[in-house]
Amino acid sequence: MINFELDDDQKLIRETVAAFAAEQIRPAARAADESGVIPPELVAKGHELGLVRGAIPEAYGGYGDARSAVTGAIVMEELAWGDLAIAVHLLAPRLLVTPLIEAGGAPLQQRWLPPLAQDQFVAATAALNEPRFDFDPAAMKTVARREGQDFVLSGVKCCVPLAQESSALLVYASGGSEGFDAVEGFVIGRETPGLEISPREENMGLKGVATYTLTLNDCRVDRSARLGGESGLNFTRLLSESRVAIAAMAVGVARAAFEYARDYARERKAFGVPIATKQAIAFMLAEMAIEIDAARLLVWEAAARLDKGENGLKESYQARNYAAQAALTVTDNAVQVLGGHGYIREHPVEMWLRNARGFAVLEGLATV
Amino acid sequence: MKILVPVKRVPDPATTIRVAPDGAGIATDNVKWVINPFDEIAIEEALRIKEKQGQGEVVLIAVGQQSWQEQLRTGLAMGADRAILVRSDAPLDPLAIARVIAKVAENEKPELIIIGKQAIDDDSNQVGQMIAEMLGWPQATFASKIELNGDRCSVVREVDGGLATVAFPLPAVVTTDLRLNEPRYASLPGIMKARKKPLNEIAVDSLGVDLTPKLKIKVLKTPEKRQAGRKLGSVQELVAALHNEAKVI
Repeated sequence: MINFELDDDQKLIRETVAAFAAEQIRPAARAADESGVIPPELVAKGHELGLVRGAIPEAYGGYGDARSAVTGAIVMEELAWGDLAIAVHLLAPRLLVTPLIEAGGAPLQQRWLPPLAQDQFVAATAALNEPRFDFDPAAMKTVARREGQDFVLSGVKCCVPLAQESSALLVYASGGSEGFDAVEGFVIGRETPGLEISPREENMGLKGVATYTLTLNDCRVDRSARLGGESGLNFTRLLSESRVAIAAMAVGVARAAFEYARDYARERKAFGVPIATKQAIAFMLAEMAIEIDAARLLVWEAAARLDKGENGLKESYQARNYAAQAALTVTDNAVQVLGGHGYIREHPVEMWLRNARGFAVLEGLATV
Repeated sequence: MKILVPVKRVPDPATTIRVAPDGAGIATDNVKWVINPFDEIAIEEALRIKEKQGQGEVVLIAVGQQSWQEQLRTGLAMGADRAILVRSDAPLDPLAIARVIAKVAENEKPELIIIGKQAIDDDSNQVGQMIAEMLGWPQATFASKIELNGDRCSVVREVDGGLATVAFPLPAVVTTDLRLNEPRYASLPGIMKARKKPLNEIAVDSLGVDLTPKLKIKVLKTPEKRQAGRKLGSVQELVAALHNEAKVI
């Protein structure tokens, strides 16, 4: 019943993405964090891996791979191990692509998927998060009001990656009542009247990737922009897919910090012996390793449920919650293992700690 | 153009190598296996030639165990069209490997064989040269640039003290050096597609070539640990040490 062995394709995918993360992403991470810019050449190379095009059906110019949440989780972990900001940038178009494939309906797919299936990276995104301490995807304050044949969107969204660069944005809004069933999605162009995109947000972490606040001032959208047409969408599943992706990325960031701290502790000597041999450090490293593996198991279970066709609401929520906390604990401990060195920017652990803080507050940053 | 690329499975260059307890080889537990990096460059070059010409076929060949399929699949995921695994469970000498590949090449009739200049495990640097000799084809080793013009090929070779350019007619054998290109990453769709590409297995015995070993590894040893250097007080002491201890002057 339970088998944790990756299949041959998954092994090769993991190896390939891991090599890309180590050779291309990781060396660019610090500069992206400092400058806020991810080199276009790196984005182009990342796009060549087929992270976006692979998911798009052949009929719309993609490669039409069978999508798998488990494989997606493996890819997300490796990319985020390289760098979270670069991973979020490379995967942002998936925030539109995945919901379109799952719930879009042919006319919306025909309109928006082909441009994203090109050789060049084309930005696209989705707006889910809202700037409130009690943000709850089941009770969004952004609302979609019916007016005749149209819908009118109003509300504020934040932490929307690449919003300014995207020609198409997916906006999630409440159709009125509370609950996941009431959530609607609308694919709108950037030029939609009433849509206001803020200047780039200044964030604590994830500084490499551009994120924006969107204000929807009674944006009137045609009903054809509604995800799933008249029948609407299965938001629970989309939310679960997003949570699994975020959780997998949290595992990747935590693993990066753990491995760095472990290697440092083996090298760094105090009183003539590596500090890894001191119990205070060794116990901390052991706890970090356990947290990472535990989080990954939750991610894989949730992903496996999605692959079985279930909504996986409980499992993906648990995975996200646990992985977000684990990432914070592990990156915090990594700073501690490095001591004073952990606090200076010469080492990446402080950056990983800042990035990891986002997992607990951000929804909808990625999807499997 | 049909291009044949021989591929060897080797330990990842980043792996720490340990000698097996019996001294006859390396300990293979926990070793990550990859395509020989020079062969990876050969695959990349073959793919670029095919892409530039807009047509052609890139065929991979490996001579080894069942597990070597993994490296062939990786090459297929990079973009090669099909692969041949000549199954041999016993390790073979470079000479036997060259005989097997030359034999398969007689059937496949490629116009070009591109192969790594050497494998990073035993560093023999022999197979490419021997294949060319067996087939009676021209060879260009240590290529840092390959240009094709009709049925002729020109190769810039990295030699001691500079670069040498050689030109010759096809079919031919070219061995790759490090600076020829930077191999691509397999794309995720490429990996999924690789499963559907043909990978044919041939038993090595069915080829009727002489596989008799000519080489025997007697013993492998880890190099002795280098001793720390020491500081000398004067030039006189240095000269004395070089003369009396090192006996080099």
